[in-house]
Amino acid sequence: MASQTGMIDPAIFEQLQDIIDQDTEIRDELREILKTLEKQGRSTQAILSKAHSTSSDSLCNVVEGAEGALRYQIDTVSELAEAASRHPYYKYNHVWSHQIQDLTYMILLSGFLGGFTSTNSSEARQTGRLLTIEEVGNILGVPVNIKNKDTFHLSLEEYLLALITLIEELARLARNSVTLGDYTRPLQISKFIKDVHAGFQILNLKNDALRRRSDGIKYRVKEVEDVVYDLSLRNLIPKDT
Amino acid sequence: MTDISKSSSASLFLPMFEGFRAELDEHHDRRERVIKASRDITAASKKIIFSLQRIKKLNEPIPNFVTKANAQHWDNIAKQYKTISPDLQDLNTHRYERNITGGNQELMESLSFQHYLSTQTLISYDDACAKVSELSEKGKPVQLSIEDYVLGIFDMVGELMRFAITAMATGGELPGGSSTSTENRKVADEDTMEVDSEEKRSLPPRNALSDMRELRTYLEYLEVPRGTYFGKDVDKKMEVMRTCVEKVENALYGLVVRGSERPKGWIPEFTGSSRGPEPVEAV
Repeated sequence: MASQTGMIDPAIFEQLQDIIDQDTEIRDELREILKTLEKQGRSTQAILSKAHSTSSDSLCNVVEGAEGALRYQIDTVSELAEAASRHPYYKYNHVWSHQIQDLTYMILLSGFLGGFTSTNSSEARQTGRLLTIEEVGNILGVPVNIKNKDTFHLSLEEYLLALITLIEELARLARNSVTLGDYTRPLQISKFIKDVHAGFQILNLKNDALRRRSDGIKYRVKEVEDVVYDLSLRNLIPKDT
Repeated sequence: MTDISKSSSASLFLPMFEGFRAELDEHHDRRERVIKASRDITAASKKIIFSLQRIKKLNEPIPNFVTKANAQHWDNIAKQYKTISPDLQDLNTHRYERNITGGNQELMESLSFQHYLSTQTLISYDDACAKVSELSEKGKPVQLSIEDYVLGIFDMVGELMRFAITAMATGGELPGGSSTSTENRKVADEDTMEVDSEEKRSLPPRNALSDMRELRTYLEYLEVPRGTYFGKDVDKKMEVMRTCVEKVENALYGLVVRGSERPKGWIPEFTGSSRGPEPVEAV
């Protein structure tokens, strides 16, 4: 296939193959970093899972552990950001988007449980917080919701999808809190989920992943309401809230 | 948590979400514009291909009646690309790739088919990109991805099949095949082809089928990444492409084996096999 003797100039397909090979190489490089991130993510997830079986008093151990584990992931993200920023963002965004969503979710959950509090650690950790997209970006050390520059960042969609995962996890946590004898947290969760739900309701969502996933929020609202109802019916809700 | 009063709590996250809403609306508007343009580009490209199929001869300038008929469709395509050019720049260059690919592929099909009919060669990726830039707003070219190009070429094989079979049915032979095309190329590529000129002289004349086979070989040889949208699309189109080549081979077989027995204009593929050979038209 040295020179053109027929319909096709061989250089055309040589060029195509070159472009495809380069593209594959970039994907492989990114996937290699993501493998590390995924592995680290499993450790963080394992720590955060303990929140379901840990009472509020000793929850700070879980949160501190998670914060520590997340630090490794954040290091990997800076590596990813550097590699990814060499290429058009949306060309390869799908390669890492899912993992960045998972990581964002873990940061949001830690934040809800009292992690990443800016105040002194000696003070009581404030729980029930929703970290904003900017706060998550600061923690990750990457820009957020960029519009005018083609560089690695946390996108709005990724943040919102992570928030939905958080809601699903909190619905589970509400029931498990009751099992642990904590009757306050379900109220906190109920209010939080309702606020987030109200937020999602003002979005004009189109038929895409965000729409499909956000459709489930209302069921989570109801699940937690049921928990609160069960508690109030039995006069188990603490009086001072 | 305790100091947040119930009345203000309902709107706790609302200001944040209001900002999100504005941004998502912008994104959705862009996406919808791109999807709509993609559909219109697809429709116009199909019409162009339809007109091109009325051409009978290979390697000659596109006849006037086709150029005239297609001018409005090309204008329409340019209009669509210009509409979405600003939406597909900078950060958003690749953001709506999955939304524009349908139109880009269909355009690629019409572009490569037209190029083939007039030159009997395959349009290069760079030339195709240049053509799309030309159709886009000045200084804001819409990106034709490598995927759009390759998948469009796959579809073009289907058009080559229709073109070849129609020509065989109406003209009794495969289009192309004259030695002129080879001669023309020799002149054009004199500088680069000198070494091979000896070899080339002994080559059999090219025709639509040999071109399809050549294209098939190259497409089969191309190594695409597994497990991507692109890889899956190529797998699907590969089968269709092979069938297209085989259909022309079968038609040629019919033409050769029964050719001398039947009058011009009889179509082996399309008349029922139960009926005997009957002339469709007397030439």
